[in-house]
Amino acid sequence: MSETTSSSVATNPLGLSSIPSVSSEGLVPVGRRTSLRSYLGALWNRRHFILAESRAKMSGSTRKNLLGYGWLFLNPLLSVMAFWFIFGFILESDRDIDNFLGYLIIGVFFFQFTGKSMTGGTGAIRSGASMIKGFQFPRAALPISVVVRNFLDFIPTAVVMVLLIAVITPPDVITWRVVLVIPVIILQTIFNVGLACFLARVGHKIPDLTNFMSIVSRFWLYGSGVFFSIEDRLADHPAILATMQFNPMHAYLTLVRNSLLYATDSSPWLWFMAIVWAFGLLIVGFLFFWRGEESYGRL
Amino acid sequence: MVDSELQEPNIVAENVQVRYTVNTNDPGLKAKGLRRVGNVLRGRQGQTTVRALRGVNFIAREGEMVGIVGANGSGKSTFLRNVAGVEQPDRGRILVRYQPLLLGVSAALQPALSGSENVRLGCLAMGLSPEEAAEAFDYVVDLSALGAAIHRPMGTYSSGMGARLRFAIALAARPKIMLIDEALSTGDATFAERSEKAMDELLAEAGTVLLVNHAAKVIQELCTRAVWMHKGEILMNGPAEAVAEKYRWWAWNVAKGKEDIADKLLHDVVSSAVKEEINILEPELIRDPIPRHASRLNKVKRPENARHVRRNTHVDEIEETEEPLLAAAESQVWTEKIDVEQLAVAKFPVLPKPASEAVSAPRIHDEPPPLRLRPSNKRVVLRAADPKDRASSVAASDDLTGRRLESRARKIADERYLERQKLRETTDSIAQDSHT
Repeated sequence: MSETTSSSVATNPLGLSSIPSVSSEGLVPVGRRTSLRSYLGALWNRRHFILAESRAKMSGSTRKNLLGYGWLFLNPLLSVMAFWFIFGFILESDRDIDNFLGYLIIGVFFFQFTGKSMTGGTGAIRSGASMIKGFQFPRAALPISVVVRNFLDFIPTAVVMVLLIAVITPPDVITWRVVLVIPVIILQTIFNVGLACFLARVGHKIPDLTNFMSIVSRFWLYGSGVFFSIEDRLADHPAILATMQFNPMHAYLTLVRNSLLYATDSSPWLWFMAIVWAFGLLIVGFLFFWRGEESYGRL
Repeated sequence: MVDSELQEPNIVAENVQVRYTVNTNDPGLKAKGLRRVGNVLRGRQGQTTVRALRGVNFIAREGEMVGIVGANGSGKSTFLRNVAGVEQPDRGRILVRYQPLLLGVSAALQPALSGSENVRLGCLAMGLSPEEAAEAFDYVVDLSALGAAIHRPMGTYSSGMGARLRFAIALAARPKIMLIDEALSTGDATFAERSEKAMDELLAEAGTVLLVNHAAKVIQELCTRAVWMHKGEILMNGPAEAVAEKYRWWAWNVAKGKEDIADKLLHDVVSSAVKEEINILEPELIRDPIPRHASRLNKVKRPENARHVRRNTHVDEIEETEEPLLAAAESQVWTEKIDVEQLAVAKFPVLPKPASEAVSAPRIHDEPPPLRLRPSNKRVVLRAADPKDRASSVAASDDLTGRRLESRARKIADERYLERQKLRETTDSIAQDSHT
């Protein structure tokens, strides 16, 4: 020990100290991806942070507008009116749909929840860059907080939506099945978390995706039967219709419409699709995001 | 100054290499042929790989405040980002005892939110519980001393105000390792005083601070040790006074356009630089030495060397140390007297005085340093009962937090504080003398 230090000092006219061997006991590699178990534990410990972060995003974006929270309701209502004018009035796609306005309202409100989570999740890492650089926390908190924020936005609008539908529909269709909307919202939220996590990593790796996402989102909007019935329109194309049955958004929208508007029981296949999509994408998306944990600091 | 090798290391970086692939419009690096067409289509001109860090070996121990100096683009910030765990190095590894906290120049966290909301958000991001965050709030507001501005959006802050708030937020979690990247240079004089005090307390609790600052004077005043980085490598590693002085002299010459002197200085430093390597002992070796040791005996001839095999391939050095012995062996004079003399010379060569002794003020170790007066209503007691649930102690499998509180680290911190005060007083009095 003394020999090695003295020899290195001898070559150094300033008498600088040298670095001997050190024990790595009690030291851990920094910023490494931890095991899934401890990662989930750390994420649970940051639950207050996720809530605070999502509230911050919510108020940060609404404060800039004059109407503030009003846009949460105005935006989907105005788009319902626009869609009604084009699809209901001009294209007359309402002729074979009962209660077209209610059909449209449910489609627009529920699709916006997923659509916003999709675009928000894609840019979650980029918009959280200052937090990532400043603090060490499980990065999955960022896409999750995007979904939580949209969920918090969605709940008041969903209440307004249910009230609207109660006004415009005949009272005999309102049955106990209204309660089934709650499990559908929960399943859709779980689906959104998986989607946001998945897209957050993809969007971080391929920044071009933000350009692409608006097109995908629009295509999905049209393909999920938000303002026309897929079953009627695609009757001539059984192959496309069969694949459309696997569309998760179609399943969620149909489940809500059946229980809110038409007071009918949904097929078990739809429930099966909704559950498998929600938990399947949650697991796949979260694991995919977790595997890239170390890369998010590089922008 | 002290025998710092007795202290436990808080940060160990072993052969850290980082490279970035970035776009460039350097005409010499334009791609040829089809690839060029592709680049034009994508609106690019060419790409180049920058080696930001070329194998940095570095250790920082408890109670140390290490300054990092170097020209712009020498890899200081990259190194700090890697130590903080924001990025992962391409090669090598970095081990830490506690989760480091990085304070960068980009101050605003959520520019649309008010300062107080940012305080809460930052505290929660560091892993404090809401109750702890509420408790820390007063302390943070106090330390940042922003007054009514704390309720205004953080986007409207000046850079100095933002830096103050960020620093105060960072201290709310009582971090053990802090990495400060130019963040304090925008603060004013009153804040400098406060932040120094806060950092002294951190150091006294066996913490470590890495400080990047371009003012060599600040490094000299605050740090115990300094490191000079140049083009992604550590050129010099030693007492803050000596390293900062050399760096300042070099930078001054570069600034004045005296490149020949600067180059010569750099050459001197490079030629005397020791390429330091670290041998990291894995904990199994210490906890359970017998089986490994027994197996290693067969392979390694001198097992006592394996404890610190520094692959220190400095050819000159070996020749220098071995030469007297070789000469003695060749001359075949094996009388005992000469042998003893030779050995004594080889063991204790006449060295130039260590720079730490030559430059810094003499220390009196005999009398205990007078106690520092602290405010009694200290609102800094934020530590949770269980150290595991806190941001700053991620590494705590066996947390040694409380054990070394009154160890010599505190003594050192107090000593340094007093010394700094004394230095300032003398410089102030000198300045006053020169004025009057």
